[in-house]
Amino acid sequence: MTTILKAAQSRRTFLRGAGVTMLLPWLESIPAWGGTAAQGRGTLLPKRLAVIFMANGINPNNWWAKGSGESMELGPSLEPLLPFRQRLNFIGGLFNEAATNVGIHPGQTGNLLSGARLTRGPEIRGGISFDQVLANRLGESSVQPSLVLGCEQPTTGYHETNFSMAYGSHISWASATSPVPMEVYPSLAFDSLFENRGAQRTRSILDRVMEQAADLRRQASTSDQKKLDEYLTSVREIERRIDRVRESANQAGEGTRPGQPGFTLQRPDNGLPQDIREHMRLMADILALAFQTNKTSVATLLLCRDISGMFYPFLPVTEAHHLLSHNDTSKEFTLVNQYYTGQLAYLAQRLQSMAEGDGTVLDNSCLLFMSNMWSGSRHDSTRVPVLTLGNLGGTLQSGRVLDYYDRPADTRRLCSLYLSLMDRMGVELPSFGDADERLAGI
Amino acid sequence: MIASHQALAAVAVAVVFAATSSCARLPPSLASQTVPTAPRSANLDQRYVTDVQPLLKTYCHSCHGGSSPAARLDLTAFDTTGRVISAFDVWERLHGRLDRREMPPRSAAQPTDAERRTITDWFAALRAHEAERNAGDPGVVLARRLSNAEYNYTVQDLTGVDIAPTKAFPVDPANEAGFDNSGETLAISPALLTKYIDAARNVANHIVFQPHGFSFAPYEVLTETDRDRFVVNRIMDFYRRQRTDLAGYFFALWRYENRSALDLKGASLASIATAGGVSLPYLQRLQQLLHDRKGAFGPIAGMQRRWDELPAASTRPSEATVRAATEALRDYVIGYRKKLAWTFDVPRARPLHIASEITAMHVNRQEVLHRRRLNPHVLLAAETADPTAKGYDADLVVPSEPAARAAAVASLEKFCDVIPDAFLVTERTSPWLAKNQTGRLLSAGFHSAMGYFRDDGPLYELLLDDGGRRELDGLWRELDVISNAPARQLAGFVWFERTDTNFMLSPEFNHLRAEDLDLASDVKFGELRRLYEAKVAASGATAETRRMTQQYFDELGAAIRATAQARAAAEPPHLEHLVAFAERAYRRPIEAAERDAVLAFYRQLRQSGLGHEDAVRDTLASVLVSPHVLYRVDVVRTAAQSRIGDHAVAPLTSDSLANRLSYFLWSSMPDAELMARAAAGDLHRPEILRAQVRRMLRDGRVSRLATEFGANWLGVRRFEEYNSVDRERFPAFTNDLRRAFFEEPVRFLTALIRENRPVTDLLFGDYTYVNRPLASHYGMPQPDGDAERWVRVDKAGGYQRGGLLPMAAFLTQSSPGQRTSPVKRGYWVARNVLGQHIPAPPPDVPAIPSDEADLGSLTLAQTMARHRADPNCASCHATFDFFGLAFEGYGPVGERRERDLGGRTVDPATEFPDGVRRSGVAGILEYVRASRQQDFVDNLSRRLVSYGLGRGVIPSDRRLLDQMQAALRANGYRFSGLVETLVTSPQFLMKRVP
Repeated sequence: MTTILKAAQSRRTFLRGAGVTMLLPWLESIPAWGGTAAQGRGTLLPKRLAVIFMANGINPNNWWAKGSGESMELGPSLEPLLPFRQRLNFIGGLFNEAATNVGIHPGQTGNLLSGARLTRGPEIRGGISFDQVLANRLGESSVQPSLVLGCEQPTTGYHETNFSMAYGSHISWASATSPVPMEVYPSLAFDSLFENRGAQRTRSILDRVMEQAADLRRQASTSDQKKLDEYLTSVREIERRIDRVRESANQAGEGTRPGQPGFTLQRPDNGLPQDIREHMRLMADILALAFQTNKTSVATLLLCRDISGMFYPFLPVTEAHHLLSHNDTSKEFTLVNQYYTGQLAYLAQRLQSMAEGDGTVLDNSCLLFMSNMWSGSRHDSTRVPVLTLGNLGGTLQSGRVLDYYDRPADTRRLCSLYLSLMDRMGVELPSFGDADERLAGI
Repeated sequence: MIASHQALAAVAVAVVFAATSSCARLPPSLASQTVPTAPRSANLDQRYVTDVQPLLKTYCHSCHGGSSPAARLDLTAFDTTGRVISAFDVWERLHGRLDRREMPPRSAAQPTDAERRTITDWFAALRAHEAERNAGDPGVVLARRLSNAEYNYTVQDLTGVDIAPTKAFPVDPANEAGFDNSGETLAISPALLTKYIDAARNVANHIVFQPHGFSFAPYEVLTETDRDRFVVNRIMDFYRRQRTDLAGYFFALWRYENRSALDLKGASLASIATAGGVSLPYLQRLQQLLHDRKGAFGPIAGMQRRWDELPAASTRPSEATVRAATEALRDYVIGYRKKLAWTFDVPRARPLHIASEITAMHVNRQEVLHRRRLNPHVLLAAETADPTAKGYDADLVVPSEPAARAAAVASLEKFCDVIPDAFLVTERTSPWLAKNQTGRLLSAGFHSAMGYFRDDGPLYELLLDDGGRRELDGLWRELDVISNAPARQLAGFVWFERTDTNFMLSPEFNHLRAEDLDLASDVKFGELRRLYEAKVAASGATAETRRMTQQYFDELGAAIRATAQARAAAEPPHLEHLVAFAERAYRRPIEAAERDAVLAFYRQLRQSGLGHEDAVRDTLASVLVSPHVLYRVDVVRTAAQSRIGDHAVAPLTSDSLANRLSYFLWSSMPDAELMARAAAGDLHRPEILRAQVRRMLRDGRVSRLATEFGANWLGVRRFEEYNSVDRERFPAFTNDLRRAFFEEPVRFLTALIRENRPVTDLLFGDYTYVNRPLASHYGMPQPDGDAERWVRVDKAGGYQRGGLLPMAAFLTQSSPGQRTSPVKRGYWVARNVLGQHIPAPPPDVPAIPSDEADLGSLTLAQTMARHRADPNCASCHATFDFFGLAFEGYGPVGERRERDLGGRTVDPATEFPDGVRRSGVAGILEYVRASRQQDFVDNLSRRLVSYGLGRGVIPSDRRLLDQMQAALRANGYRFSGLVETLVTSPQFLMKRVP
């Protein structure tokens, strides 16, 4: 009898050890997070990637960059990014082949991050987006596998191209047929990082079944109890694992240099901010907080959706976003573009203010700013605007202007860029979407 | 190894001691099947002391004794027969090694043959005695989690959809008998439990929240598009079931009116409507229309004339002729009706935008109102109409004289009333889009924005009966409730009025955002409406424009309020449904405390901030990973404890028995009827059990028994993933064919079970089942219908098929790529089919080339004959190779062949152990029928016992096996005999009490 019990105990011990090692690849090596940051373990710090999306294209006359590093010149639409020139890559000429020759708008959007062909009519079918591939591979060790935020609610009517408007409403897709539900409310997005979601919800379920298992065990025969003990042990083990992840994530939240306070954020009010400026700022703050506290390492933020109804009386601009994009060389549209690059600059500044290891969270992140078309009036999907900000833990050089526009199609695919970025995030795939090559020179 | 034997021995001893301390009376229904406890045979005890122990002492104790016994086996410890029995499996091995002369080692003194037999015969006698004395012992059946397959089936039966939550789980390990349903192999780990939790959440994500409970969609229902798909498909399915083709009605009426000539004398209009699948009320209306000749004008007169001209049944027209005639009549009616229909253009209603939802809805409403109305504006007056003018149509001409005109118009109105311009409209697009924009099902036809619109008035009024109307109303109500369509339409309205119309860009609207979930609240909606209507009025809109604007908001507001109320009112039914779900999932009556605990968990989640739907989903997930669901723990009625041989036993509770039965026969939870029997408390009665067994064996769910028992027994459970066929060499081997290979034995066995055929059909049945890909692989005629349709083929022997043996799955799986393997095929027949025990081959066997083309001048049979020339190999191979050689007429993917891949003629003739030379499957069957049928039946019984009880066969099962076989013989070998005997055995009905 004792032999059997001992064997069971030792297996339990082994499993406990295996679970923790598996789940905490980097924290495990940093026993006293925060206090030892000065020891130069930068390579062990987490890498994060966020896609920041603005629909309806840009003013082609004012969307440009020249030179490199400190001396880089930026077109008027990019002016808010001047302080981040050295952290910026201006990437021109990339495209998504599946978004060409399918008509304008939703067919150019729902596959931006997947490279998949989209199905017209009532059946929704595209492909999983690369941020969700990352979330599936990396998400196990996070409170949230990914953070999918938006400032404009999705819609589902039909566009005149007969694509569902759902394609224009979502850039993150969990599967070919289902978009990831997008959080639009800042208060709920905030809660999702700390309460009720993901691991915490699993924790509640485990507590609940633990009670039942204990009851059942009391009624069971001795030999049956041993089988149920496997179950009880497993429940306890997962609970312990969740608690460890949470603990570590909370510690990471204090991951600042000694003497420097971390960024904190009050829970936003319930309901929706009436002013879009406040709404976008809160979403950027939440994303920054999620990265800083390592609640997630993958995020998408849809600032406005395709055929956006956003309006900007404060700029001042008198038309709504989509209609204005049809007049894309107007001064007003440049103001709108500037407003959006300003949001990117705000987020970058937030991340830069967050010390981590020897540097900042921005050093270990990549903000990928994109739109679904080039010229807003021409709905041009032969190329899309792409910016990156941040250095992804030293793996991504910056301060560069890269132009792929004149190169052959196979060497300028967006999915190639995604493959390259996923590599740097530690997820290496042979191919993704329509690409099986990495993007050269990134 | 030895350490574990000792541990087991210790457990066995402990069980014996515990068992002797209690005993009680059995319920009467079981008494006849139990065995009185016999004293251990004094004779065997005596022989152990006088004959066996001295030999052990002489030949064994010097090594297996003392302070450090060899291999940690101390034979001096076995000082009584009782000790031997408590370590039976140690002695089984000892017996085997003695018998095979592996012990004592060559270097030690050897007993004589007679001495060896003294020990082995004694042990065999002890074993037989013990088996009989303990006959009926339930054995050790541990609590266990459901296997992956059982969990999938259970979730399927719980939810009604096939989600297969464990499809990405690691494969469950099989036990020694080859089944994955026993406690010793079904373990759980933190990693696996994590997968179960994820899987349970995934199942919960399939919930569709309905007004009176919830159901499950075949896909996750989290986003609006998922919800839309569900509700739209359900309504479209309803619409597609309706018969709206007028030709079908005319045909049914023709049959009715010609019923005497057609020999349908007893037929009523109702019975003919039912037979033709058409609506009776509408048939009656049409009948009136066709026969009311008074005042008939234009189309009514035209259709009456054509009706009279339909061929009379007395002239014996073919059905095709009559069908064609009724279709021509339909085309006439519809063609005429089109000319009389209303069409509505989008009004120019300033300041509303041309694509405004308000005007689009106004047009939709007009269309609905006029589906059964005449458009008088298309009519031409006889007096003034110019036959040469463009657009002139004689069909549209009505008399000019007022009374005649009134009569004509009345007739046209009557026609339009009975024949609508459309029974229903399921697609709408904005009028300025190209007409090929199809697929916008149930859409309101808004530009870009979402919105649903119901347009089925004529269907509803003319065709449906009360039941149909209730169902359709319910479906449309559910569309709003499930998809929250009205509130979403409002959000889309606000978005469109900014991005495309600019109307809501004036500053007074700035605070109203489409993103705001609160937009549909009374306050914000009211404000939006007030501001919007004020701006419309201030922009100089006409009274009609103001009216249609008000109407838009009236209708939308009412729908929003009704939906919000229905959604709130649905919460209590959802919780009731949750408790009912938990009860079904627990597979037994739920206790009051458990019910409270389910609801308390839901409330706890709500308090922690989750919304209603998420809280329901998480509660459901917690049910699905609950140990009550994940585990089968057999509970006994300890008050009814008794003894079988050395063991205290007690009958299972009715609920546990119902579960054991349903997991045996269906690999899943009991159904309502079985649970009801369990609740009634009479499930233990043999006649009730037998009746349930017979019912369950007829049910389609026994395909799971065929799959989980049959395919595992026959070693092809994973054939759907089999990838060792070179598809370049065998291009016919497609995924469809592979799937068909797998299904053939499963369908064969399923049909055999459901039809209660003789188990000997598995061998000798001259039939099999094929679909189109398999038929063409076998060279059989193609079945009609689609490629997935399966048919039974009789006289399959004509194609060298029939029964299990020549099925392609077995022949393929036993072929290593480019050649056949008679060894593996023979091994499969001997081991899987006939239950022969074959020891593993020695490690130094030379390999046969993997491609027949590389065999040189020898055939495979000749190559193998050389191999068997080695006496070490021959002793085993001689017992099964011949089976495989007789299969040489089948190639590596089970195809019939004359030549092998090296071009040599194959010869499926070979010598069988009885010295007779036989050939092919017919030869094998002849031999089996003559010499081995008992082996087959015994093997099948053993495998079924092992599968049905969830444990290995133990010696004390011998009597049960004999009874099962007796039942077979007494009943023409029909399958149910096996199952009925097994489930009424003490092994099945009881459990050991520790």
